[in-house]
Amino acid sequence: MASQVIKVQTVCRNIIAVARNYTEHAKELGNPVPKENPLVFGKPVSSIITEGEIQIPHGWKELHHEVELGVVIGKPGKFIKPENAMDHVMGYVLVLDMTARSIQQELKKQGYPWFLAKGFDTSCPISDFIPKSAVKDVHNLNLKLTVNGITKQNGNTKDMIFKVPDLLSYISNYFKLEYGDLILTGTPSGVSGVKHGDIIEASLDDLAKIKFPVVENEK
Amino acid sequence: MASQVIKVQTVCRNIIAVARNYTEHAKELGNPVPKENPLVFGKPVSSIITEGEIQIPHGWKELHHEVELGVVIGKPGKFIKPENAMDHVMGYVLVLDMTARSIQQELKKQGYPWFLAKGFDTSCPISDFIPKSAVNDVHNLNLKLAVNGIIKQNGNTKDMIFKVPDLLSYISNYFKLEYGDLILTGTPSGVSGVKHGDIIEASLDDLAKIKFPVVENEK
Repeated sequence: MASQVIKVQTVCRNIIAVARNYTEHAKELGNPVPKENPLVFGKPVSSIITEGEIQIPHGWKELHHEVELGVVIGKPGKFIKPENAMDHVMGYVLVLDMTARSIQQELKKQGYPWFLAKGFDTSCPISDFIPKSAVKDVHNLNLKLTVNGITKQNGNTKDMIFKVPDLLSYISNYFKLEYGDLILTGTPSGVSGVKHGDIIEASLDDLAKIKFPVVENEK
Repeated sequence: MASQVIKVQTVCRNIIAVARNYTEHAKELGNPVPKENPLVFGKPVSSIITEGEIQIPHGWKELHHEVELGVVIGKPGKFIKPENAMDHVMGYVLVLDMTARSIQQELKKQGYPWFLAKGFDTSCPISDFIPKSAVNDVHNLNLKLAVNGIIKQNGNTKDMIFKVPDLLSYISNYFKLEYGDLILTGTPSGVSGVKHGDIIEASLDDLAKIKFPVVENEK
């Protein structure tokens, strides 16, 4: 097969993310781990960036980083069985699920949607596309993130509570998956605040590396 | 200008909705009316249907209908001033923001995202596109919805708490708006449950009419 350069930011029409998919991360935020089903939320495609700066909306002062494995859908489907789920995957991206943590906590207290805290512009930095064939075992990938050179997150996808086939199967029961859709699979522990002037670097094994400076908007 | 047939379901890459934008609707659900800013959430584009049935996911038994005016973006923008906001609008659609109300209440109690309750497949039925020129006053449009011939919702866009220019301006501060984006502007009072076998009909003045039967999935 000829190598394709997939531009996820162009083909993607849906981003669906799971919350609390790593035990240690749920614990560090004092959140119960989901027992039965994954907890899903959306990010708008307008939040994707592939270069440039992560922009903190004016006045929000701080964001939390969340380094994640992103799964890119190639073959559409609905009611996908877990044993067939990986057939629907065409590749991966390394993702930062940037989150306005204090905004999110306020929204949660009132039972409000998370959308503003999770979906603001530049809240979804992604790496170049990684073809499926480049990954031997999707459940043994190292996720690492540093802020200003100091390691903050250092996890492995083997610690996912809901593994990729189960995530895709569950999500596809309610949301039909299309070519280009991006599924964010959760973040390990070590989330912390970043502010204006900080620099985030992250890696997925030796498959992808990203670097994004953080600024706060002046207006 | 030559008349274009805009297929919102094809060009749309983002659906952003506002909750509680009609006082009487907030009251009927026992919810406080937002004071300062609109309350925003997202629906995935996978939820859009233009024909066929509204499908209740298996086991959920009932959905609530919410008839809304949808605003379709033509000219992209960010940090849009209210006085310029209508320049970014290319037209409208009539929308049903179908909602799994009991799922939503459970999610709210736990501070969870609304995404599953608001974004499942077929939860965003829309009418044909209405060009901007067909609407004299976007803040004087009648929104009507009937279930099995009985009128349930009968409101007017003049009762919006946050008017369209202010909504677009606020949303564009955090989410850059692109061509084809769909903004749902809230629902008047009268939301009620629909179950397998019910038929929903709705109209936006004499500009659009839609009809969707409701079924519950067998699996």
